Order: sequence, then C-alpha cells, then structure tokens
Amino acid sequence: MKNLIIAILLLLPGVINAQVKAATIQASGLTCSMCSNSIFKALKTLDFVEKVDANIKTSSFEIAFKPNAVVDFDKLKAKVEDAGFFVANFTITYNFDNLAISNDKHINVGNNVFHFLNVKDEVLSGDKKLRLIDKGFVSAKEYKKNSNLTKMACYKTGEANQKRIFHVTI
Amino acid sequence: MFSFRSATAQELFVFTEPASNMAAKGFGLRLNNYLMNEAGSERNSYHLIPEVMWGASKHIMVHAEAFLSNRNKSFVAEGGALYAKYRFYSTDEVRSHFRMAAFGRFSFNNSDVHQQAIDLNGHNSGYEAGLIFTKLKEKVAVSATTSYLHAMDNIKEKFIYGNKNRNAVNYTLSAGKLMLPKEYTSYKQTNMNLMVELLGQVNMNTGYSFLDIAPSVQFIFLSKMRLDAAYRIPLVKDLGRTSPGGYFLRFEYNIFNAY
Repeated sequence: MKNLIIAILLLLPGVINAQVKAATIQASGLTCSMCSNSIFKALKTLDFVEKVDANIKTSSFEIAFKPNAVVDFDKLKAKVEDAGFFVANFTITYNFDNLAISNDKHINVGNNVFHFLNVKDEVLSGDKKLRLIDKGFVSAKEYKKNSNLTKMACYKTGEANQKRIFHVTI
Repeated sequence: MFSFRSATAQELFVFTEPASNMAAKGFGLRLNNYLMNEAGSERNSYHLIPEVMWGASKHIMVHAEAFLSNRNKSFVAEGGALYAKYRFYSTDEVRSHFRMAAFGRFSFNNSDVHQQAIDLNGHNSGYEAGLIFTKLKEKVAVSATTSYLHAMDNIKEKFIYGNKNRNAVNYTLSAGKLMLPKEYTSYKQTNMNLMVELLGQVNMNTGYSFLDIAPSVQFIFLSKMRLDAAYRIPLVKDLGRTSPGGYFLRFEYNIFNAY
C-alpha cells in the first residue's frame, strides 16, 4: 500500500518536486497608465490568478496564483497580447523539493514539462526563479539569440510528442 | 470642419488614430463635440458625434458613430459611419514601440453638400482607406497618417463640386508628450498630455488644399476616462470649407474586458 502511494505521488510530479508560487511579467510597447491598466484588468480575468500587483513605471505585473490551481503560462501571455502589447520578460517563482536538472534536457516540473537551457547540472530546492524564454515570452531579438542554445526542434515548435514544452533558464 | 479619428496616452491623439488599438474585448464610449465658427457669419455650428469603439481582437478595432448637428438651424441626426483598423506591424521594446496599421472608413450623410473639402466625419457620404505609422518612446509619441478619400453623393443631395473633384488625399502629423504625472505610482493618478497635430487635405484634381494646426490638452482620469480639449486653426485655406476653425471637446469612457 505504501509503495502504491509513493508510485501515485511519483506520477504527480507537481505534488512532489515543485509548486508554482508567483510570476512576474514585464510587458513591452507601452508607457501610459491606461495601457498598463488594460493589461492589469485582463490578467485579473484568468481563473487561476488570485492577485495582480502592477508597477506602472516599469510595466511589470506581479501575479499571485490561487493555491493548487493549474497555471497556464500561455494564457497569461495571450492576455498581454490581447491588450495590444507583448511580453518582454516572464519569470516564475517555484518552490522546489530537490529537483535535479541538467542542461538541454526535458524535465517534469509541477504540471509542466520544462526544457532547461543555459544551466549547469544542479539540484533545485527552496524558492527559485525560472525565466521563460519561449517565442513570445522574450523579445524577438532575444528569442533569436537564444536559438543556438539547443538543437532540438521543440525550441521552434514549443512542442514535443504533442505536449507543450516550455523553455526556461535560471 | 474636418476631422479624423482617434484611440489609445501620449499617442491617444485627439484628431487622429494611432496605429495601436484598444484592448481586445473592450469597449470605449465617446461623446465628441465640435463648436465651429461658420465662415462669414457670427454663427457657430454645433456637431455632436456619439461614438462606440470595440476591440474586436488584438489586431482589429471597430468604431461606429452617429452624426448630429444644428448646421441647418434645427438640431438633427444627419448620418453615421463605420471605421475599422488593422494593426499589421509591431516592433515593441520595453517603453517604446513602432507600429503600422491600415484603416478603412465608410460614412453616410443626409445633410446638404456645402463645401469643396471632403469631410467624412459629419458632412459627406463616402469612403476612405489609409495607413498609420506610430512611434512611441518613453514620454513622447509621433504619428503620421495618409489616406485616400472618395466623396459619394449625400443621401438627398449630389456632390455638386464636379465628379473629377470627388477624390482627395488626407495627411496628418501628430505629436504628443506626457506632462503629468512625473512618475507613475498608481492608476488613480491623473495623466496630462499635451499634443499638437497638423491636419491636411489635397484635392487630387484641383490640387487645392487645406492645412490646419490643432493644439490640444488631454486628461486621463483613473486610467479609464479621458477628456480632450482642442482648438483647430486653419493655416492653408485654398480648399473651400464653410467652418474650418473651432473648438473640440471629447469625453471618453473605457470598459475593459466587457465580455
């Protein structure tokens, strides 16, 4: 029975190895408070978002998530774009429980599969920030620059075996 | 009187639209008021243009408006217009962008045809298509528009200035600067923008043109309400207009995530 519970827990990596806590999005293309307000209000409509704190001066939004909610990073990005702007920087704060990572490898983190790039082999524990570097999550210039970090096709398609792969760095 | 369209702080121009759109799923409600001096008389004509704006998607926004005025003595509804804008190019960086958009407009009007200049904002029936180029950097925005317009016959009256003179080119250059607040701390701060716009038209057959300069001040309240006040001054007056100069006042209210 104990082994079964451990086996189930292992199938739910989110429960074991990492818990998403918060995200910070910096948007590009705006300088005015009305524009910032349109992003702020759009982010608040997502059901997994508990709270958004906006910094109008830096065009940044700190987002807290509801406990145990499934957080969809693509939906957050889409809200910024629907408001007429773009994501320039997207960092996620996770609480890790001894998660081993290595460079250019796909690793289950919470409910997502992350492809770690430009990292060294290490074991993550405690609160750590990851930065999403997929297309649309960084500037077009930076996306292009980072393309030499991997030869895998998923960097361009965002998918592998029909599953969404997020590209992250530390 | 002649007017262009407007939408989203220092690039939220009064007489022209920027290449940026309002947020998808949002609505904007406007009351545009013109008080224009009728040339050769002491009389001022009042034009009221209620307007609804809709962010259809991240790339497309649509405006619908109605034209009411007392130019012919009593205050009556005279027509309406539909306007659509498609943002097709964006290079955005943190605190700056360059964007391009294409727009089209169709207007209908049942008032009398009373001037050579073509005005699809409350005077002529017709259509217009054009391009918008907008650069925003920090507190300053600059935008240029160029468009082609064609005047059709108004509902009750023909375009009486000759078939060859139905076509014109509009061009605009707008600049805006955020003056207040000096530093953003909250959405409740009142923003003040100062703007100046050059608004011109050239008739494609006669080559006659007009050019106006329109300084304006804009206040944004609670990051959702807007008040624009402008004064339009004619600089070049070759192309006939019955009321080229006057005051403009706009109230705007924005609803985000309406559905």
